[in-house]
Amino acid sequence: MDEISWLERIELFRWALLAALCAGLVCPWIGSFLLVRRTSFQGIALPQISLAGVALGFCLLPWCSRVLGWPSGNPEAMLTDPHMAMNYSLVWGGLFSLAGLGLLLFFGRRGEGETARIAAAFALANAAIYIFARYAPFGRNEIEELLHGEIQFLGLHEFEMVAVTCACVAVLLGLFHKDLLLVSYDSDSARILKKSVLGFEALLLVLVALLVSVGTMTLGPTLLFGLLVLPPLSARRFARSMRQFQLLSAAGGLFSVVAGVVLSFELDLPLGAAIVAAGGLLLLPGFVLRTPRA
Amino acid sequence: MSRLLKLDGAAFGYGGRPLLQGVNLEVHAGGMLGIIGPNGSGKTTLIRGILGLIPTLSGTVTRPKRDLGYVPQRESLDAIFPLSVEEVVQMGAYGRLSGLRLLSRAERRLAHSQLTRVGLAERAREPFSRLSGGQRQRVLIARALMSTPRLLVLDEPTSGVDHDTELRLLELLRTLCAEDGMGVLLVSHHLALLRQNVPEVLLVDSGKVERGASHAMIERMEHCQHG
Repeated sequence: MDEISWLERIELFRWALLAALCAGLVCPWIGSFLLVRRTSFQGIALPQISLAGVALGFCLLPWCSRVLGWPSGNPEAMLTDPHMAMNYSLVWGGLFSLAGLGLLLFFGRRGEGETARIAAAFALANAAIYIFARYAPFGRNEIEELLHGEIQFLGLHEFEMVAVTCACVAVLLGLFHKDLLLVSYDSDSARILKKSVLGFEALLLVLVALLVSVGTMTLGPTLLFGLLVLPPLSARRFARSMRQFQLLSAAGGLFSVVAGVVLSFELDLPLGAAIVAAGGLLLLPGFVLRTPRA
Repeated sequence: MSRLLKLDGAAFGYGGRPLLQGVNLEVHAGGMLGIIGPNGSGKTTLIRGILGLIPTLSGTVTRPKRDLGYVPQRESLDAIFPLSVEEVVQMGAYGRLSGLRLLSRAERRLAHSQLTRVGLAERAREPFSRLSGGQRQRVLIARALMSTPRLLVLDEPTSGVDHDTELRLLELLRTLCAEDGMGVLLVSHHLALLRQNVPEVLLVDSGKVERGASHAMIERMEHCQHG
């Protein structure tokens, strides 16, 4: 890598960089909602659950192809078609994300042990990834790359998926920001003001699941949960308003991506992991300055 | 004076099982009604029933459809939200705003004037969580006023605040009744405060709601508070 100039690296990895920038902007925004709703752990467990779904999908690929007729043709050849591979993985990742969120919410309503339950979900999903990957006839390399945060060679199609998903999530978050905030902060008052609490809770759930499933398959769980959790956690310490909180979170996400790219290029690290490590730097000012929480 | 709220033999509870039965009460424009009861007596159930947050199991509840302001217990609002004071007040206007609409300049002005009314305009940009208990309560009242309610329902507004702050809050509520003709329904477990400052008090206890601050009722309440 030493012989390659920075410009050449950027040219080579442009789709990965652009995808990471999109995620760096939108993941912390949605992560800010997860943080204030005290559901940040979902941001950690869901990408693992989603990836477990993708791994199971690879495991069942021959069966799906033979019995369901989808994807058609030779299953192994499917992996060489990025569109088909992405769409197939998206179905599995999306199904698992939604099911995982639904289960976490369902059991969450029963009360105690929220943290332990999510930790258990994380552990089980993690184990499932390796078990499914062990039995998957194809796609082991793809799963390992996602786990390691090797996103350098993302193609145009993956970038388009991330960009469109982030744009959809950002537009819906922007449009319904007030309602999502009110429902999250004070659901009783939201009901009295005739807001559909269930509807907006469901909207947030779908946005999280959508971002997680597409993000997991393209950027990997490491990068995804790093961006969902670290920038909002850092911003929370300094923000004096919700507006500041979300702007600082997004700015922190962008900083993580840019600093992570520098780290990755200079130290030859996996890009996704380097971005998360850079996101960890955001927490330092809070620890060092010991700023009282706003 | 027009009647804003009427409960006629109402029963409220959870899972189809009534916790409170045969509740009769009325709140008129410009009137103030206090509801008192020991912890766990069903005050919150009554409030939630009045607000329509839980179904009425029997009897009837006649309440304003839109002109209803609610001030929740401030402890029920999570301090992890880094909201500024003005953001909290502006939330009171969200009921009028569909997803596509932003807060108008008029609504921002209204939020500012409501903050002025509760004496906190100069702290609009400060984090809500940094205010004292009494100040936060006033901010929540300003938020409820954003929907220009005819009936204001407050759940334990004086809980955890000092005596002077309690009196200032009650003065503010009396002003709202007298100047705006607003009806106020106030829930508290602070007997002495309600007896001295609210003209009509109901006691919630043992699944029933009793009218009038009778001597026997006060004795029972004091027994509950001290026992």
